[in-house]
Amino acid sequence: MLHKAGLTLSDGTTLDDLINRDMNEVSLRVMNDKELYELEMERVFAGTWLLLGHESEIPKAGDYVMRDMAEDNVIVSRARDGEVHVMLNVCPHRGMKVCTAEAGNAAAHRCIYHGWAFRSDGSFIGAPIEKEQMHGNRHSKDELGLKKARVHLYGGLIFATWSKDLSFEDYLGDAKFYLDQLFCRTDNGLEMLGPPQRFVLPCNWKIPGEQSGSDGFHTLTLHRSLMEGGIMGGTAESIYDTAPGMYGVDISVPQGHTLRCLEAAQTFKMFADISFEGKTTEERLNLLTPPGVTKDMIPQLFKNLSEAQVNQLATIPPQVGGMFPNILIAFIFAPRMDGGASGALSLHTYVPKGPDKVEFINFIFAEKDAPEDVKRDMLQNAIWSTGTSGTIEQDDADTWPQIMRNSRGHMSKTMTLKYQALHGHERPEGWVGGGDLYPGFTKDDTQWAWWSAYYDLMAEA
Amino acid sequence: MTVNYATAAIDKTSVMRGLVSIQRVPLGSEVYNRLLETLYDEAAALDERRFDDWVAYLEQDLVYTAPLRLTRNGPNKDRDVVRTMKHFDENYASILMRTGRLSKSAWAEDPPSRTRRFVTNVRIAQCDTAGEYEVVSYLYVERSRFDNPDNESITAERRDVWRRVDGAYKLAVREIIVDQSTLGMSNFAIFL
Repeated sequence: MLHKAGLTLSDGTTLDDLINRDMNEVSLRVMNDKELYELEMERVFAGTWLLLGHESEIPKAGDYVMRDMAEDNVIVSRARDGEVHVMLNVCPHRGMKVCTAEAGNAAAHRCIYHGWAFRSDGSFIGAPIEKEQMHGNRHSKDELGLKKARVHLYGGLIFATWSKDLSFEDYLGDAKFYLDQLFCRTDNGLEMLGPPQRFVLPCNWKIPGEQSGSDGFHTLTLHRSLMEGGIMGGTAESIYDTAPGMYGVDISVPQGHTLRCLEAAQTFKMFADISFEGKTTEERLNLLTPPGVTKDMIPQLFKNLSEAQVNQLATIPPQVGGMFPNILIAFIFAPRMDGGASGALSLHTYVPKGPDKVEFINFIFAEKDAPEDVKRDMLQNAIWSTGTSGTIEQDDADTWPQIMRNSRGHMSKTMTLKYQALHGHERPEGWVGGGDLYPGFTKDDTQWAWWSAYYDLMAEA
Repeated sequence: MTVNYATAAIDKTSVMRGLVSIQRVPLGSEVYNRLLETLYDEAAALDERRFDDWVAYLEQDLVYTAPLRLTRNGPNKDRDVVRTMKHFDENYASILMRTGRLSKSAWAEDPPSRTRRFVTNVRIAQCDTAGEYEVVSYLYVERSRFDNPDNESITAERRDVWRRVDGAYKLAVREIIVDQSTLGMSNFAIFL
């Protein structure tokens, strides 16, 4: 095994001491180490692409939202040319926030401290009292704009990076085939149903981060109430016998993105007892339309996706997963209390706010072309299950801080997180998409892939 | 009706807070006293985790929501209540789903938090519909979790409609306007 020697902490601990790649174990110490955190800010969060929002939030020129790339506050704005720009919300003059609102519309951002002003693309307009040239004479105006990040829109999702050379295509890798099925399947794409829910949890970002690497297994125990409520099929008594929702195909790519694909036929059984056998792709899609997609929109799926992609969406669709380093994907089917099959589309980012704090951001979506009543249902479904009050994620939010408290103990932090229930790579017959595949019961493979991606970035000197 | 979901958009409804009706129910009047007593009893039912007692206060056409707050400036500085997105978006059935869950495996409240709900600044007015009262209150919740000596807390304004039914008051509408745009509370596994 290749041992890179790119990271050694001041007490001599190496990355290989913390992440044991022979044993698939990770030291609990990684969750509570200031030095490691500083390195993560540089090597992970300034080195890869980060999700900040969706272009439907800022449809008009001058529209902006304030977001964070780790602890760096940024303005995400649409300029007069229609392009989306992401720039550091730090005045190059004296370091004040140039923008003080979380959202709005402004032709220019004028710093409230000394009045330096910037266009919505970040370029410098000037300082007050132009004739006195209060921006000095050492830098030209071209050099005094807000510091810009590179931006890429994917399915309308706004990604940004401080990396100078990482292309978005290389970041996405083979995950694109699967993620297109979620983000790029309809003519007008996704729409965010309002600003994100935000709340802060007292834990390190990697505690929710490693879970976002498609930890399916915790669902059976931590989210037992789903089974008790009959939402996943089966009953509370039979949880560990029938293991509902645990069988499918898990996927990872070396970039650390992961997905869990669950058989549509199994999902459909939660709603009705009709067999999928012998049904065409179109018939299957009509029986179980992807969450948020209406029957009218099914032709759009064939138009926007390849035949192989639509076929997967109709047979064994990706439903939950994550994108490295800190994005959780929940594009889930959910029965509604008033009957019928419906779903919830939400994405989270887990934004680091210090070694022992993380901000949980919950972005909730619907398909833009869906009728208003469907959007209303989608919003309600997402609020009921995810985020602040979601009955699924309440339990996660209560668990993670307790792991954090354990990571402080002198002995406790020498304990390791174990990822040793591994299936290994196996390509199911007839499978079209790329990546590393793990069919059957959901195991630790994808979460280990998340840690491998973390290792690779942290080992880069 | 088409809703403008854009985060950056100005929402005309986003300014609404406080008491709307001008038919004021004075402090110390019989109606005021009974409603205040009901708010105190309701808070006690929630603090003592008597969820069946709490549900008995709820009308079947209940609308129970908690919109987002958003920091804004300039001409929009007071339009900071965003009703397109919510922390709670509940009806009677979904509240029953939530209280039902709390009686089984809801680890977020098992072991349970110890909570203390302080209800103050109660202002009451009569609605246009006879027997319905608009009740605005301030809510301050302290929440103690496990053996953690640091409590989590939340402050909010609640805009309620209480309805007189068979000699008692029942909750028909509650809008919880929290003060934080980024919540400092780990979850809303508790009711507000």
